[in-house]
Amino acid sequence: MNFEDIKKKVGAEFPEDVFFSEKHGCRFLDTKPYAFKKVLSFLKDECDFEYLVDVVAAHWPKRKEKFDVIYNVFSITNKIRVFVRIKIESDAIETVTDLWKSALFLEREQYDLVGVRFEGHPDLRRILMPEYFEGNPLKKDYPLKGRKWFNETDEQQLGISFSK
Amino acid sequence: MGVMEHKFSDNILTTSVDGLVNWARRSSLWPVTFGLACCAIEMMAVGAAKYDLDRLGVIFRATPRQSDVMIVAGTVSRKMAPVLRKVYNQMPEPKWVIAMGSCATSGGIFDTYATVQGVDEIVPVDFYIPGCPPRPESLLDAIVALQQQIKTEKILRK
Amino acid sequence: MQNTDVKNREQEQISELITINMGPQHPSTHGVLRLVVDLDGETIADVRPDVGYLHRGVEKLAENRTYHQFIPLTDRLDYLSSLSNNLGYCLAVEKFFDVKIPERAEYLRVILAELARIASHLVWIATHALDMGAMTVFIYAFREREYVLDLFEIATGQRMTSSWMRVGGMRDDLPEEFFKRLGKFISILDERVDSYERLLTKNRIWLKRTKGIGYLSREDALSYGVSGPIMRGSGVDFDLRRDEPYGIYDRFDFEVPVQEEGDVYARYLVRLKEIRESKKIIKQALEGLPEGPVMTDDPRVAYPSHEEVYEKMEALIRRFYIVSKGFKPPKGHTYGSVEAPKGELGFYIISDGDAKPYRLKIRAPSFVNLGALPEMSRGHMLADLVSVIGSVDIILGEIDR
Repeated sequence: MNFEDIKKKVGAEFPEDVFFSEKHGCRFLDTKPYAFKKVLSFLKDECDFEYLVDVVAAHWPKRKEKFDVIYNVFSITNKIRVFVRIKIESDAIETVTDLWKSALFLEREQYDLVGVRFEGHPDLRRILMPEYFEGNPLKKDYPLKGRKWFNETDEQQLGISFSK
Repeated sequence: MGVMEHKFSDNILTTSVDGLVNWARRSSLWPVTFGLACCAIEMMAVGAAKYDLDRLGVIFRATPRQSDVMIVAGTVSRKMAPVLRKVYNQMPEPKWVIAMGSCATSGGIFDTYATVQGVDEIVPVDFYIPGCPPRPESLLDAIVALQQQIKTEKILRK
Repeated sequence: MQNTDVKNREQEQISELITINMGPQHPSTHGVLRLVVDLDGETIADVRPDVGYLHRGVEKLAENRTYHQFIPLTDRLDYLSSLSNNLGYCLAVEKFFDVKIPERAEYLRVILAELARIASHLVWIATHALDMGAMTVFIYAFREREYVLDLFEIATGQRMTSSWMRVGGMRDDLPEEFFKRLGKFISILDERVDSYERLLTKNRIWLKRTKGIGYLSREDALSYGVSGPIMRGSGVDFDLRRDEPYGIYDRFDFEVPVQEEGDVYARYLVRLKEIRESKKIIKQALEGLPEGPVMTDDPRVAYPSHEEVYEKMEALIRRFYIVSKGFKPPKGHTYGSVEAPKGELGFYIISDGDAKPYRLKIRAPSFVNLGALPEMSRGHMLADLVSVIGSVDIILGEIDR
């Protein structure tokens, strides 16, 4: 099965919800937010995309759709890679942990760093930043050198304080 | 030494005892393994066969309770900083700290929201080693320099 | 009073899970990894990895640096095989421009990437065996690694984090001494790997500590998204170099080792075989190495040569522009990935036409592999957890970025 067959199959199942494009060596499927989970599970069950490689989220503060979420899926039997892109206005989206278990860590990381909440995730908490941290570092309004939060909590009562 | 520290004046007895104690301390410096990032691999390479650390008396101990020196090798993030201070507190006196690499000295190329800009904000540092990562010879030089500093310390003498 | 006392004690005995902490500073967690382990006696009921102790904000830093300035930061992700990371990043950026890389640069890229894979697997076997108590293998493997680091130093000037790849080729050609020493190195590599095998492969202690431990089934391997030797150790026959080839990997003839058992011993065999296959690839690349330039002359990406800069005004302006402001790719999204020693390392770049990326996501293989750790270690004893961590081969620089 190559990309043409996938286009025909997915296009037949979801006629108005999916747009196909191929640019810079990558194949994209642009989907509407209400249909993306059905598209993903169709890809997993019918087109042999048994492997979720990555979940990427980006913050666009000046656009109406504030967040971009991209799912990178790969098919080992057909050796083809497809990117499913969604643009969402609010910061909540459905989880795909019931389809692929790699989403457990990947979605937690995007929740921690970008601030997209994945509804239905069994254990949605911070993974890279400490638990008492507030904010999302990869949002565009968070400064690169924002180190003021260092002195806010002294979580183990050791008396250390930072000056830079 | 406890109550006898820094009490006596220089004479042949106290200088000999000081010389003996300093020789014992500098010839068997046992570091606690605090390798965090890339510099840890260079530290392991120094401990391996080509640049041997065992000939200087250095054996890596995993527990801070039985070690003399802490070699902080790698970037210290804010989440790791209390752990670093706790391990330092658990080391018994006398203790020294060597900050290895640019990230431990001053934050290195990671001037971001999550990195501590230099480990001397948390613990007092005796020696800084520049480099990213420093060559194994630099770490050997730092340990030899630390040994020279210990040689001149006064324990019984004022 | 006494009845409630006895009842409380009975309640305590029913909830028997002890939670212990394998803290960030531990001799055998290969970096600053914290594991919160729920124990039922000596058997593991659940493991929760707590990462983030080395989080340095690399992805945010990428949004404030030009594409060229980010190359040294990619070195520090998987710092054992830094040239592989550079290659992955340069491949991703080159997809924006669709540059034509010169032949010699392609061959040299393959040679350096495979040397990086050998270096990374040597550290893996050294630390894995050291955790199990086999200290001799540590000394032997680091002796070989010193050879490889010497080669890197002759080629690039730096032992570990060299940043030698550029968008469009490489920084400079490699000296003659490098090829002489490389020939000597690959002629002795096989017997050295044989010596590790003599020490470990049929050793009764090694077999008892690794066979049947850390089992990951084929379906779980695919669902958890693990890649690299873990996937191949569980029976999935997949390798990015053969199945989605990048560069000129389709010209080389090499085998992809696959084992069916899915335990720690299977992954050990896969990685040892990979070192031998890397040596085969380097040998073929050395034989087919052509002459020529090592950097493309595509003006969108590379700066003009020195002669042109000294003579023509436009070349001077172009060079200043590219070095100070950086080259600007077109708007869009792209993804480039390589088969790093740990798995599939990928870079997803969103560009909005500026000289700095808008969003750069690093798909780190060790991060996703760590998600499978709870599944692999359930039901084993605490000492087996050390074997499993060693076989997953995590590197915290990648996980935490």
